[in-house]
Amino acid sequence: MKRWRILPLRIDDAFMSMAIDEALLKLNSEGRSPNTLRFWRWSPSAVSLGCFQSVEREVNLGVAKEYGVDVVRRITGGGAVFHDQDGELTYSVVCGQDDLPLDIIESYKLICGGLVHGFQKLGLQAEFRPVNDVQVGGKKISGSAQTRRWGSVLQHGTVLISPDIHKMFELLKVSHEKISDKFITSVFERVTTVERELGRKPSFEEIREAMIAGFEESLSVKLVKGKLTEEELKLAEELRPKYASEKWLRKK
Amino acid sequence: MTIKFAEFKAPKGVVKVELELLNERISRISFSGDFFMYPEEAIEKLEESLKGVRADEKDLRAVVKKFYTSTGTKTPMLEPEHWVKAILQAAGK
Repeated sequence: MKRWRILPLRIDDAFMSMAIDEALLKLNSEGRSPNTLRFWRWSPSAVSLGCFQSVEREVNLGVAKEYGVDVVRRITGGGAVFHDQDGELTYSVVCGQDDLPLDIIESYKLICGGLVHGFQKLGLQAEFRPVNDVQVGGKKISGSAQTRRWGSVLQHGTVLISPDIHKMFELLKVSHEKISDKFITSVFERVTTVERELGRKPSFEEIREAMIAGFEESLSVKLVKGKLTEEELKLAEELRPKYASEKWLRKK
Repeated sequence: MTIKFAEFKAPKGVVKVELELLNERISRISFSGDFFMYPEEAIEKLEESLKGVRADEKDLRAVVKKFYTSTGTKTPMLEPEHWVKAILQAAGK
């Protein structure tokens, strides 16, 4: 069985977390980082934007400033997400392109399968919803985003444990098109959380353990405990200023 | 010159288009939204290839289709037709 690395839980600001993900992707493509799974949290809470989104159109920057919420642009596509420091566990998978199906949706399905199995271990019947979501009872409980660069793949995404949905509404500008969709009347009807589904809030560690076991099943790999290398940390620290810059944030 | 804008709801996600027209031709265009594109840099090629193109369904379709075939770009759940519709919506057609 193939062996991948599992990193310890980290808590970083949005800019460092994005930088670590890019560093792992880059070094994996150069054969300098092993295939890796990691779980992490955001401190402070943050809004992350998809790489094609306009910051002005998607985020209430004044509200973010007021709440002390960071705003960061990802290198992955997809939508804007509010990451609650107390209510979300985030994962990243970095591996070679050859370790995943070439088909984009199939590759999402395989990685999201780790979450589906993980949710099952927590007692929740979850299912993959293409392109990039995992649902429980028809409601989104996890969203992911993926990029492929230099021959490697980065996929990162959320596990919604108990995010502050009201804060999310205040921070994100919901598009008129989305509101007008007759199938979607409110975020409350299309998003759910681990806490809401289980009727209790498991610890971050309990959820992380369940997800690790889930990923081992889905990816058919043995996850071996490891640490970030000096080289990975150094590159991440070099990349962090890009993510913290106004230029990157206002790219679109 | 006025900046035109539209939000087009695709089967998955929203394509937002900002464009300027000069004599019925696109002089500037910028896409944003929550879509996925592999590779990401291709969005600039798509925008570039649309410059100078008439805001006409046939012309736009030809350019967008050529963009896909010549670059091999992939956009899950987003078809050439969706970009064309989004642009026409912004152009007010």
